[in-house]
Amino acid sequence: MLEQYQQKDRFLQKVNPSLKLGAVLVIIIMMIPVFNPWTPLLLFGCTVIMIIALGGVSFRFLGLLLLPFLLFAFSFVWIQVVFPDERGNTILFTIGSLPVSLENVSTGVSLGMRALVFGSWSLLFVLTTEPSRFMLSLIQQCKLPPRFGYGMMAAYRFLPLFRDELRQIRTAHRIRGLGEKRGIGQLKRYFIPLMAGAIRKAERTAVAMESKGFDGSRNRTFYHRIHWNRYDAYFAGLLLLLLTTIWFVSSPWSA
Amino acid sequence: MRQNHTLNLREIVVMAFISAVFGVLYLVWIFLGQLVTGILGPVGGGLMAGFWIMAPIVCALIIQKPGVALFAELIAAGTEIMVGSVNAGSVLILGFTQGLGAELVFAMFRYRSFKLPVLMLAGMAGTAASFLTEFALYGYSQFAAGVVWFMLGTMLLSGLLLAGWGSHYLTWALEKTGVLHNFAIGRSNRQTKQERGAS
Repeated sequence: MLEQYQQKDRFLQKVNPSLKLGAVLVIIIMMIPVFNPWTPLLLFGCTVIMIIALGGVSFRFLGLLLLPFLLFAFSFVWIQVVFPDERGNTILFTIGSLPVSLENVSTGVSLGMRALVFGSWSLLFVLTTEPSRFMLSLIQQCKLPPRFGYGMMAAYRFLPLFRDELRQIRTAHRIRGLGEKRGIGQLKRYFIPLMAGAIRKAERTAVAMESKGFDGSRNRTFYHRIHWNRYDAYFAGLLLLLLTTIWFVSSPWSA
Repeated sequence: MRQNHTLNLREIVVMAFISAVFGVLYLVWIFLGQLVTGILGPVGGGLMAGFWIMAPIVCALIIQKPGVALFAELIAAGTEIMVGSVNAGSVLILGFTQGLGAELVFAMFRYRSFKLPVLMLAGMAGTAASFLTEFALYGYSQFAAGVVWFMLGTMLLSGLLLAGWGSHYLTWALEKTGVLHNFAIGRSNRQTKQERGAS
């Protein structure tokens, strides 16, 4: 489902995954001291436009992914209204005996929008980055030890197999007349065989990797090389531009 | 018992597989968590928090070497991102701090004790670390102090029960199947059995 976007030949897909991830972290850290609603709102708008225009993601699909986030964001608004640190003075209206003040709604919206900004930037990364390119970039640019990188990649490639295995376990349980009850109590019945299978597969994979000469040493050659390119420079420039614009536009409110 | 303290490839791959499975479970849990948080507020979300500390504790209990808890949580976070978490950025930061929290407790016991109380403490340290991170990331300073303290309380409880006791229970159930005989947990188990048999 995500592959069709991750493999598109658009601007964001060509940017180095490590740089993109770095940008996500920078955005998150920049948002920490912001408590007005306009800055995150503006940033969220810009991000959505970037994902659609530069990443080629359809608006409907993006909206669908952000939908659960809206609920999460809304929780910040109501909890801020009901349990604020200090209640504001400008009363908008009252629900029962509960006064709803402008200040609290605005802080709540700000925190909710902040969660949405985090979500949208995460989507910007996830929707435009192929997992294997991400891992190779971590190994080649961020100096992640290849043992960990390839170990993770192997585990990632096995995930679809686990889904089949889960189905198999369920069928096996049904044949033995254990029924198809679902719930927290039944978790162990699936978890233990699944994990036992995963550990056996992992041991075999490790033996296979070692027998093929993979010793996890650093000075190795790569079939796919991830290079820095001009798109990375454009992206870094765009990010700087975005941050300074938002900084200037929203500074009158951030007092 | 003398053993090498650096991780070998077999342990790394096993750790990656376990954490990857947890990473997928975490994703399902995030979805649940967001629903619960949306309805009950961050307090309800606090009760779910312990689940996210299970991968580091399960892996640390199995492999019993320095760094395992931290790397396991980072791998789980990495898997979440590769599978397509809608929360990639915060997941990565949280993965790091949660893993670090659990790791510190194991380091405090010099990676020698992996008994239930230590695991519970590690679980609580993990949720405490994730509380501090979320406090900064999502601006909890703007909420009433009572709510925030209550949230910390539910998160610690969740760390104690879900992350500590839950991981202990599941890992020892897994040990009984015999797949862990080649790992530290299986070795130490056999050793205690032999000692008991000798005396």
